[in-house]
Amino acid sequence: MRPNFFHHLHPPTIPAEQARWRHTLGAGGTAVFLVLVLLVTGILEMFYYVPNPQEAALSVQRITYHVPYGWLIRNLHYWAAQLLLIFASLHLLRVVFTAAYGPPRRFNYLLGMGLFVLAFLLDFTGYILRWDVEVCWPLVTGTNLLKTIPLIGDFLFRLAVGGENACESALLRFYTWHIFALTLPVVILGVWHAFRVRRDGGIAVPPPALRPNPERISRFELVRREVQAMLIVGAALVVLSVLFPAPIAPAMIGQPVLTEEARAPWFFLWVQQLLKWGDPFVFGVLIPFAILLALILIPYIFPPPAPQDVGRWFPPSNRLAQVVITLIAVFILVLTLVNR
Amino acid sequence: MSTLNRRDFLKLLTGGLLTLSGMLGLGAILRFLSYTPETVRRSQFDLGPADRYPLGSRTLIASIPALLIHDETGFRALSLVCTHLGCTVETAEGGFACPCHGSRFDPSGQVTRGPAGAPLAWLRVEVNEAGNVIIYPEE
Repeated sequence: MRPNFFHHLHPPTIPAEQARWRHTLGAGGTAVFLVLVLLVTGILEMFYYVPNPQEAALSVQRITYHVPYGWLIRNLHYWAAQLLLIFASLHLLRVVFTAAYGPPRRFNYLLGMGLFVLAFLLDFTGYILRWDVEVCWPLVTGTNLLKTIPLIGDFLFRLAVGGENACESALLRFYTWHIFALTLPVVILGVWHAFRVRRDGGIAVPPPALRPNPERISRFELVRREVQAMLIVGAALVVLSVLFPAPIAPAMIGQPVLTEEARAPWFFLWVQQLLKWGDPFVFGVLIPFAILLALILIPYIFPPPAPQDVGRWFPPSNRLAQVVITLIAVFILVLTLVNR
Repeated sequence: MSTLNRRDFLKLLTGGLLTLSGMLGLGAILRFLSYTPETVRRSQFDLGPADRYPLGSRTLIASIPALLIHDETGFRALSLVCTHLGCTVETAEGGFACPCHGSRFDPSGQVTRGPAGAPLAWLRVEVNEAGNVIIYPEE
């Protein structure tokens, strides 16, 4: 049989270390599965969702309360999106903590960071598509943040909003970004990312001579483990979807309602907390971008990990990178928890 | 001085032309996306006859949004758009509070607690010949 992309990702045998849960956490593979769930449920939602400010929230209500199994499709989409951010973050932490980003994997690390940013943008645009009373202030603050950027701010705002008032005219833009202009890059970068994993020698493990365990597993065993993970994650998604429905609120029509407290979506609560401290450009744009830049540059500014450390948890030769990413993670977690 | 042979020259030319047309295309796409429809951005709001707003009244005009105050000095209007990131402030104890990042303003619009850096804006209000209250949010 002619080798295809599936065979590229699943060679006849791979080192057993590369497919251990305790080594990979299964995080990257789980993220791929969640993206597949998101694509399927997202396409199904498109059959009923109406990207029009007057009807959007009502069409979400229709999906949730009237369409047969619409609630399940929507809740699966919601939970897969939230879990994607968590598993993508775990994947990033795993890659740094096991020193897996060194040459020749630096380029693939960049592809991964691109996917990471796209996942957050997709989650935010998807959240806005609810177009109910809870999303107006996060939308206003998020798009007004663009305006604070010197020189190109107004241009970016127009690119994102397509009008003067975000809560009136941003819906069609956010829809197009969400459905197509962000999703297509995710698919392309995602396939490229998976291709590069194999091209770079598979999941990072110590070189053969330094490997404590020479055991290899077959393609069939690898696929068996992947299917097992998909079943577990799929079951978890169904349980979450049944027990905890995705948030929904009354439609936003005309003027935004007055609220005592407006909350950002959970994954941007840390930015909202930062913004409470002062100047929007410094706290809402510069600091988050500095954090992103620090993450992106990890493979470039820190010395490459020693060969025997590649693929080991918390090895000594990349301590500095571990400390930096831990500080960033703790900073974001604390801000998120403080913002209540 | 190194010489540029014909093959290298053509390569350079092809690369340059491709880059140029790519940049032009990208510029066109960005211009395409930056279009903003000519909105009927209202520069004045007619709030109807002045006698609807008796002396001592404070009326929330949600469509601006602004607070129309009628006191001994006449009509005044305070913008309710938070100067930090544009959420609408709420009336709260001791003035106004922003729901988004917790800025506080006193009844005259001055900042009493950050993160907002500028006071709420006072808007121009007029009563025209017909006796209607007009607010000019742009000025």
